[in-house]
Amino acid sequence: MARKFLTVIVQLLIALVTIPAVALATMSFENRNNDGPSIIFPGGELVSGELYLGPEPDWSFTDDVGTVHLQLDDPLSSRLIWIEESDGKIYITSDYMGTWLGRLWKKWAVQAHEGDGLAVVRINGVRYERKLERVFYSPLLDGVIEKKIAKYRSRITREAIESGETWVFELAPRTGV
Amino acid sequence: MKTKTYLALLISISLLVSLAILFIPGLAESIETWMLGFLSRNAAA
Repeated sequence: MARKFLTVIVQLLIALVTIPAVALATMSFENRNNDGPSIIFPGGELVSGELYLGPEPDWSFTDDVGTVHLQLDDPLSSRLIWIEESDGKIYITSDYMGTWLGRLWKKWAVQAHEGDGLAVVRINGVRYERKLERVFYSPLLDGVIEKKIAKYRSRITREAIESGETWVFELAPRTGV
Repeated sequence: MKTKTYLALLISISLLVSLAILFIPGLAESIETWMLGFLSRNAAA
């Protein structure tokens, strides 16, 4: 009797894990080629929106933007991400990079760092072609840290950046590409 | 329930859930909205 009861409990637990896992995997699969990410799942190539071709914009308007769509050119996938403007430049950060699990979760950061870093960022429906350049040590990082704390109440620190726990990328112009 | 029957049922339900998400318009968005609501309610608690 006890054995039967235990079997039913185990079967229920397996079902409670398996069915939501299958649902999440399906939703992720369904979203993979969409024009941009959903809130949770990565999307595909950013297609819609005007492609900005003018001079370097005044990025201070991004202070009023919570999240942007970031798409790498290789692989063609996009995700929702925070953005920080500092000293006329824009930055994105990736936390939890000090662990194997973090790097698996934030695979895009590894791909951007190890690849060519070419990316498209869509802000308020306008697409900007950029190049992700990782920033390790720079006096400009103080501004990024201050902005991220003020804007998102983040716990980012310079130590986290310098130890590799947090990766910072400048969304630099694609000059010479 | 016998293991064979259980596995068949589990696979059938999983398949049904997958197909529903893929082919019922708006279902994926509704699930995601519900998930976000659930997460934000519980994160705030």
